[in-house]
Amino acid sequence: MQRVAVRQRTPGMGRRPDLEGILLVAPGFGLLLVFVYWPLVYNLWLSLHDWNLVRPQAEFVGLANYQALLQDPLFSQLLRQSLLYMGLAALGNFLLPLGLALLTLQVGGRWAEFYQSLLFAPTVVAVSVAALVWLYLYLPAAGPLAKLAGMVGIEAPNFLSDPRYALLSVSLVANWKFLGFHYLIALAALKSLPREVLEAARVDGAEGWVFLLKVLFPLLGPTLLFLFLSALASGLEYAFVPIDVMTQGGPFGHTSNLLYAVYQEAFRFFRSGVAAAQAALLTLGLGLIILGQLHMMGRKHA
Amino acid sequence: MLRKALVHLLLFLATLLLLAPFGYQFSLSLTPPEALFASPWPFAHPITLENYRVVLEKLPMARYVLNTLVFAGVSALGQLLLGLLAAYAFVFRRPPLSGLLFSLFVLSMLVPFVVTYLPNYLLVARLGLLNTFPGLILPMLTAGYATFLLRQHLLSFPREILEAAWVDGASTRDLFLQILIPANLPTLAALAITLFIGAWNQFIWPLLVANRPDMYVLTVAVQRFAGGEGANAWGPLMAASVLATLPTLLLYLAFHRRILETLMEGGVRG
Repeated sequence: MQRVAVRQRTPGMGRRPDLEGILLVAPGFGLLLVFVYWPLVYNLWLSLHDWNLVRPQAEFVGLANYQALLQDPLFSQLLRQSLLYMGLAALGNFLLPLGLALLTLQVGGRWAEFYQSLLFAPTVVAVSVAALVWLYLYLPAAGPLAKLAGMVGIEAPNFLSDPRYALLSVSLVANWKFLGFHYLIALAALKSLPREVLEAARVDGAEGWVFLLKVLFPLLGPTLLFLFLSALASGLEYAFVPIDVMTQGGPFGHTSNLLYAVYQEAFRFFRSGVAAAQAALLTLGLGLIILGQLHMMGRKHA
Repeated sequence: MLRKALVHLLLFLATLLLLAPFGYQFSLSLTPPEALFASPWPFAHPITLENYRVVLEKLPMARYVLNTLVFAGVSALGQLLLGLLAAYAFVFRRPPLSGLLFSLFVLSMLVPFVVTYLPNYLLVARLGLLNTFPGLILPMLTAGYATFLLRQHLLSFPREILEAAWVDGASTRDLFLQILIPANLPTLAALAITLFIGAWNQFIWPLLVANRPDMYVLTVAVQRFAGGEGANAWGPLMAASVLATLPTLLLYLAFHRRILETLMEGGVRG
């Protein structure tokens, strides 16, 4: 009885429906509807039409845009490269940050704080500006990287214009810029583990690899998978600005990915229908990853 | 002992590699043109402020800074306010369908921006808002992230305090102004700074909707400079990029402890 009485005193709980609660959520939700969810619907509509921004009337073409896309050999190249970006993001935004976070846990509080704030620093800089710095680092022959390679007797490749290295070079910039953020999240996840369990395992003599494999990873399971999926999901988006600043998708489309291609179709070639179809497929693909993430989140709360 | 030294060595190396590009950026901005490619190491050259003079003379930096300040400031405060109102309602009021609504706030963070930018561009263009601050700012005001983070934070805020004040006759406005905002000020400030830095660094959306030179934000201005006059003029270009980076870097250095704590709080409890 006591409980019920207290509950009824909670602001707004007495009145029904809670008009004020609705009013408080409404402005934020309204903007979401206009600038996120309506565009999603509009994009689907666009993907079924042939339209180029300039023409007054959009023509309904059904699934033709999708059909054209799936038959385009360039699309399968984009798909391959997108997977490559995601794979590299898994390395740079999952494995490496996790490793660094594990190392940070081994050092004392002051040192941990020191490394933490420095490793996070690139996250604070605009990626468009950072990409310009990397453009200099990558300069063929005269650039620092080429010269440093020369000093140890290696001939540096043309980082950005050689199709074999360009994607890797662009991806490195994206991973460099966003590594700190994932490192911080990994560190937070590690720190939130129940201390007692870890201590108990330590006391029982679990050390080194055994500790890592038998205690830490099983405990971390869902969190690790969550971090992994978010590294994957962000892989394409992180590469976007470096691509735009450094290569615009070149040489010969070798550094482009699905996300960047949507942008180019829409804002460079003005083929809105095709762009929309690509965007819809992209959303679907990323949506599957995100669903996996939500599933993990649900398990974590349960 | 040896193990500890190895751990430090690895972390130190990682830090050094990660910060090296900043070293080059800063060093280049102070390099005389003839020494640009003299050495692969940063700061192995005489130091000059000439590049900064060139940039400040050639580019209306004050205008760009003002544009960026308005854009980033209003975006950050707007997101913070919308996020706070929504988060409060989700934690203490539970409006109908609040589970679904909250999910939609969270999911909005995950929608790839290229999907929304074309429709938003068309909308902003149709409303005649290209090259205006409202056109620039409004689509940035989606408060999914702020709402999510503040909800996580408010969940641990003692409900009894609000209840007691409410019983004493405090209105919702009083609850915000006299209890919630003052009591959560450090978190709100850290989130505001994070959002500000994020907006300051925005590039694609301002590039699309604010493409008239007097409406450039810094990231776009630096990019345009790189593609035009600044092409191959690495010294002035890097001087401009340092100037564009400095405000966010200083903010971060001043508040890094709070910022990192707040981000971690959101990351963990999610």
